[in-house]
Amino acid sequence: MRLADARAVCPALLTVPDAPDNDAAFLEALARWASRYSPSLNVDGADGLWLDTTGVAHLFGGEPELLANLAGRLARMSFSARLGCADTLGGASALARFARRSPVIAASGTAPETLAPLPIEALRLDPETVLLLQRLGLKRIGQLYGLPRASLERRFHSKDAAESVLRRLDEALGRRNETHAPLLPAPDFVARLSFADPLISHDGVLAGLERLAGALCSTLTRAGAGARRVVLWAARTDGSSVALEAGLSAPSATAAHFVRLLKEKLDTIDMGFGVDLMTFAALAVEDLHPEQTALSATARKPGPEKLIDALVSRLGPRTVRRLFPQESHIPELAQTTQNAFSKLPAWNGSSSSTYLEKPPRPPLLLAKPESVAVMAEIPEGPPARFTWRRVNRRVVKAEGPERIAPEWWRAFDGGATQRTRDYYRIEDEDGCRYWVFREGLYQERGEQEREPPRWFLHGVLP
Amino acid sequence: MTFSSTPASEPRYAELDVTTNFTFLRGGSHGEELVAQAAALGHAAIAVADANTLAGVVRAHIAAKEAGIQFIVGARLILADAPSLLAYPTSRAAYGRLCRLLTRGQRRAEKGDCFLFLDDVAEHADGLIFIALRGENNPGEDRPDDARFEEELLRLKGALRGPLYLAAHHSYRGADRIRIEKSARVAARTHIPLIATGAVLYHAPKRRPLQDVLTCIREKCTLADAGFHLEANAERHLKEPAEMARLFKGYEEALERTVEIAERCRFSLDELKYEYPDEPVPQGKTPQGHLEALTWDGAAWRFPDGIPGKVRSTIEKELALIEELSYAPYFLTVYDIVHYARSVGILCQGRGSAANSAVCYCLAITNVDPTEIDLLFERFVSPERREPPDIDVDFEHERREEVIQYIYARYGRDRAGLATTVISYRGRSAVREVGKVLGLSEDTVAALAGTIWGLSNTGLPDKYVREAGLDPSDPRLARCLALAHELLGFPRHLSQHVGGFVLTRGPLSELVPIGNAAMEDRTVIEWDKDDLDALGLLKVDVLGLGMLTCIRKAFALLKEHYGRDLALGTVPREDPIVYDMLCRADSIGVFQVESRAQMNMLPRLKPRCFYDLVIEVAIVRPGPIQGDMVHPYLRRRSGDEAVDFPSPHPDHGPPDELHQVLGKTMGVPLFQEQAMRLAMEAAKFSGDEANELRRAMATFRRRGTIGTLQDKMVGRMTARGYPQDFAERCFNQIKGFGEYGFPESHAASFAHLVYVSSWLKCHYPDVFACALLNAQPMGFYAPAQIVRCAREHGVEARAPDINHSHWDCTLEKLPSSPQGARGAVGQLRCALRLGLRQIDGFREADAEQAVARRDRPYAGIQDLWRRSGLGRASIERLASADAFRSLGLDRRQALWAVRGLPKEIPLPLFEHAMTTEIGREPDVALPVMPLPEHVVDDYRTLRLSLKAHPMTFLRAHVTAARIVSCGQVKTMTDGMRVSVGGVILVRQRPGSASGVVFMTIEDETGVANAVIWPTVLERMRKVVMGARLVVIHGRVQRHEDIIHVVAARLEDKNHWLDRLSEDGEALEAALANADEVRRPDPGSWRGSQPKPGLLPPLAAADHVKRPESGEPARKGEARHPRWHPRCHPRETRIIPKSRDFH
Repeated sequence: MRLADARAVCPALLTVPDAPDNDAAFLEALARWASRYSPSLNVDGADGLWLDTTGVAHLFGGEPELLANLAGRLARMSFSARLGCADTLGGASALARFARRSPVIAASGTAPETLAPLPIEALRLDPETVLLLQRLGLKRIGQLYGLPRASLERRFHSKDAAESVLRRLDEALGRRNETHAPLLPAPDFVARLSFADPLISHDGVLAGLERLAGALCSTLTRAGAGARRVVLWAARTDGSSVALEAGLSAPSATAAHFVRLLKEKLDTIDMGFGVDLMTFAALAVEDLHPEQTALSATARKPGPEKLIDALVSRLGPRTVRRLFPQESHIPELAQTTQNAFSKLPAWNGSSSSTYLEKPPRPPLLLAKPESVAVMAEIPEGPPARFTWRRVNRRVVKAEGPERIAPEWWRAFDGGATQRTRDYYRIEDEDGCRYWVFREGLYQERGEQEREPPRWFLHGVLP
Repeated sequence: MTFSSTPASEPRYAELDVTTNFTFLRGGSHGEELVAQAAALGHAAIAVADANTLAGVVRAHIAAKEAGIQFIVGARLILADAPSLLAYPTSRAAYGRLCRLLTRGQRRAEKGDCFLFLDDVAEHADGLIFIALRGENNPGEDRPDDARFEEELLRLKGALRGPLYLAAHHSYRGADRIRIEKSARVAARTHIPLIATGAVLYHAPKRRPLQDVLTCIREKCTLADAGFHLEANAERHLKEPAEMARLFKGYEEALERTVEIAERCRFSLDELKYEYPDEPVPQGKTPQGHLEALTWDGAAWRFPDGIPGKVRSTIEKELALIEELSYAPYFLTVYDIVHYARSVGILCQGRGSAANSAVCYCLAITNVDPTEIDLLFERFVSPERREPPDIDVDFEHERREEVIQYIYARYGRDRAGLATTVISYRGRSAVREVGKVLGLSEDTVAALAGTIWGLSNTGLPDKYVREAGLDPSDPRLARCLALAHELLGFPRHLSQHVGGFVLTRGPLSELVPIGNAAMEDRTVIEWDKDDLDALGLLKVDVLGLGMLTCIRKAFALLKEHYGRDLALGTVPREDPIVYDMLCRADSIGVFQVESRAQMNMLPRLKPRCFYDLVIEVAIVRPGPIQGDMVHPYLRRRSGDEAVDFPSPHPDHGPPDELHQVLGKTMGVPLFQEQAMRLAMEAAKFSGDEANELRRAMATFRRRGTIGTLQDKMVGRMTARGYPQDFAERCFNQIKGFGEYGFPESHAASFAHLVYVSSWLKCHYPDVFACALLNAQPMGFYAPAQIVRCAREHGVEARAPDINHSHWDCTLEKLPSSPQGARGAVGQLRCALRLGLRQIDGFREADAEQAVARRDRPYAGIQDLWRRSGLGRASIERLASADAFRSLGLDRRQALWAVRGLPKEIPLPLFEHAMTTEIGREPDVALPVMPLPEHVVDDYRTLRLSLKAHPMTFLRAHVTAARIVSCGQVKTMTDGMRVSVGGVILVRQRPGSASGVVFMTIEDETGVANAVIWPTVLERMRKVVMGARLVVIHGRVQRHEDIIHVVAARLEDKNHWLDRLSEDGEALEAALANADEVRRPDPGSWRGSQPKPGLLPPLAAADHVKRPESGEPARKGEARHPRWHPRCHPRETRIIPKSRDFH
């Protein structure tokens, strides 16, 4: 059903976007939880789990008890689950998903009879293959048993499809072994180092860190990855441990860089009765591919990444921010500060010319425009005289106005409604240059422009 | 600059650099607004210069005439190899050159684009005044540096050799004085005079937000990240001359020059004169002489027994009038096209104001006998009204393209072009675009857009916003709706008109630029029909009509199988059996009167003669319905109410002043022209006022200026002593016509097709059904209903079969019927064999090939595969459609066999070996397919089943639940309680029925109609919208022969379908018919809701929603060669966008 149709039926329908990634992550977490029943298990499709209970069931008092236990726990967690148990993975999957009741257990060796009435979809086939079988009237697994295999095979245009039917059938019936990979822990980027004698000096820890960082970096490099966050665990002989974390603004696989980041913090480690195990791990990993280094040393400009990392590791991640350009005609909005770890937005080539075309902006913009008293020609004349910080200045040269209207759409976000500004570049008798603006126009426009215009000084020009 | 002119006390200025919204997504105001504003500000003149187009100039020209300001036609030429130029023609000849230039640029580009080079401009430069632009009007444009720009200017000057100016404008970007001074110096060095412009994008500063939104739509971004694509301020508006003088202080001569240019550009669009093409008139003859000769020849052919005296005098009168108005070339042009169509056997019929004349009858343009219907020609073409004659010609929709290409071939691409249709932002598209730009979430935008079921000029009432679950007081939402409202009516792109051709004697490209259409082999002029009307240019409408295709096919079948050779004009007239059939509302498939509302009307109106059909066609229309004229007419017709004529107070006029106008329709205005005549007779509208009313009607949707006219008309009628109520109803009717006008002359032409198709259906239901199926997609009903109806009339329907079917449906001789028996009701000679075209996804080329190689019947699937050369996939489609019954295979066995075919056809040498190998394959007993499942699969592949109706299998179950069949409902009396079940055929929620849903359900015994009132709908919404199979509990409402079930409660019984097979869901999908409620179409929601009629079904003005039957011309659009003929009928039911009538 299309969303539009669903809305026509039920106008008040609430919709939540599908998030298959989240679902998959959650299912995997559930799989890890289920490892209490069996060490060999994995997720099955987008909505199932399989557990190999060989040699496990007796711990729970038998297969029915195991299933009851599992069903009970899942129910307490508010899951509605369907359980099936059979000799083969294929059989169990078919029973769990398509048997009329749940939990259901196919006694050993009874797979053909148990599976026969189940629909053909239970064989875990792709939809096209299922459709073809259905159209041929082969709607139940049992109807496949008596068919000549060669005849059936001919009916599929693709060899894979033909094979998959027979293979899946054989797997379900236990005529063929099915290979299934259990859920393995994700490949970790971890390096460990244990010491026969506990370390008691910070120097020893530093030496250990250097070795560990080297080991981790070679693992990372082999995997074409770089770490964005690393952690050093130091386990003390008394069983307690301490962790040091560091974040990086760009993925890195350089041992020296990690060491430099952590080195300063090493002193803070309380060694207790000595450290006998050190683990150095990359917690967040991103792709990092080797780059061609420049032939001449000067050609390579070091980015700010190293500086940022150093500052962050010293000052903390939230305190370091950097400026980014932001396309806005309003001068104070033309740049924004963001967390230093933010990625630089892709440079928009077309607008670079627009930046250049604007009349020069003062290098120093006052944080808050300062009110000035001005004598100027109405309606749009530049200031002739103005008073700023109690000093009266006579204007000898002026240019403008540059008219900047407020960004009307910002009012939705609760921003105060602004007025149109006319900016002037002016120079006084002493050769000092200022950037002033008049807020509001004399030609009344719109409702906000009720008050008489006011003058402000916004910056000082060189 | 050393010279100085003395500035006049009052500065004079003419704005020459104006971009309207016809520079799509750049201009922020309508041309009309700009012109009116310029007049208000006191400009000496205003020019409109849109990018490479003249599409917007006519509207601006008309507005300028109203505002009393000089208007200058212009264009902004965007050149690929030089700075952009503004160009203004100084004379008619120069205007022609400008058109030719734009034509050249557009013809060499794709639709909507235009490539021009400086050389092109140089070639057409004579008489044009140019202004060079420095590409600084829009952010992001390339801005050449000073030195390069100077070079470019000199190059321009050298190439153009004519008057050239350099534009300077004050942009409020800071260093304006410097920039203007720089330009002035460049101007001085190059000796190109400087001219002041405003670089106008909108008429007033308040339009800046909308212009920002347009920019974002153009750049496909939201406001938040549009950045420097947006203007920094709101200064791109029209400014007062005094303000311009202040900004250009010191450059007064630059200002003065604008007025100089304006004075030299004295060309006005009023100078365009239309001239008919010469082709239709043979050399040495005058058009009038030729027309007269043709007419009298035609009269002799029409009346072989001698021309009746009345006809003779009518013809003479008409010819005299045509001569007086010199319309002869127009009639000859139409005749020429019709003559061509007839010569190649394309069926056609004219309609329109001038079409139902005796002259047109004699010229075979129309087949409505002037002796049968008394239409006064002078009423349509009158010397006082100076209105051009209007003839639309409908052609078979499948062959209209031939006619179009004939016109292009005969008159040439430079003298014939299709009119354009301006596609504008409508409610939904406007809300969607603005919402996106304002950064509303997709969900919100979808909910908002979904709420607006169609077009409205009144904005979106808060109620509907709340209904969508949104808060109308949210500032962002409120702004979105306000901006969307402002955006309504902005042109979005130009599309081709459905068939309006403009033909000229001289090159058309000197009248108006011609561009390419999206379709191959079509060229389109830039103006739409309103523009053409405004300038008095004539167009001929060449439209496509599905029913003509059907009738032509029926005539061919009739000749082949029954030996009767008939034509549109020779079908026996006034056959009482035909009218009997129509009075029974037995009209499935019949042109125009097959819709549910029409079928409800037929038994009430009881048509007994041709003119009754004319009324029948016209009465179920929004005009009469909104004007509440239907019931009075019916009451008078049945004698329940006396026929009287509303009359003015005796002081104001004779009491019978309306007899002339309303005589034929029993004192009730039903036709569009009657409403107009009412305005003139009863409200004493002058000719000009009537014209204004007509224009307001035509553009009602676009502007909504009709309100003032309402007060005028109603006020005057009541002042003259007419009842207030009658006056208001008359005006409501005019408003209704405004949207979907239906004049008597159109109704008469359509009524003729109603009669012909009814006659065919009545006498030869087999032939009619076959032709109708072969003309699909068209009309109101799906093939399933057509076949069902044919079977109810005793036609034997046979399933598609590989050994019997062709691509088209065919007729097969019934063995029992004696040779030479007269085909008539009850004496059928043929069975209907469904064609392979009914099979979903089967290709026509495959069918042709299989049939061509079928010299002897195919003996088996392998035989078919080898001899026909069909691919395995195609054979599989045949198998799934159960087309191998003649080979003794059902679909399942056939599929098994097809699937067993080897990948490639074996070489002849090994053929024998292979067959034996296949032959050796063990026999496999597949499970037998149960009948219900066959039915399901039939529906899936053919969308109908001849085997059984799905409800048959449920009947026992249903009867046990005390649910009656649709057939039983017909026997019930008024007021009885009933529960009836069936498969839903159609759901409709007509806009003119205040939320009532009409539902038609079907079972094996027939169909039943249900009415669901809004209160019930509210409770039962899920069932009403979601069910496929439904049980309706309610009461029978019976009015004469019209029976409805008024639903009190509905039950969703979709799960019953599961009983039919394991694939119940598939059946559900297969049964999903054209469903209007679930597919909201534009037009279902309208601002003004009329009062519900006494009998709800009358209000079901479903032709509004089903223009295939009401307005089949639109269907022709889909019938382009590139149109995919196998698309599912459901898809083709999408309501065409344009609904304007001609």
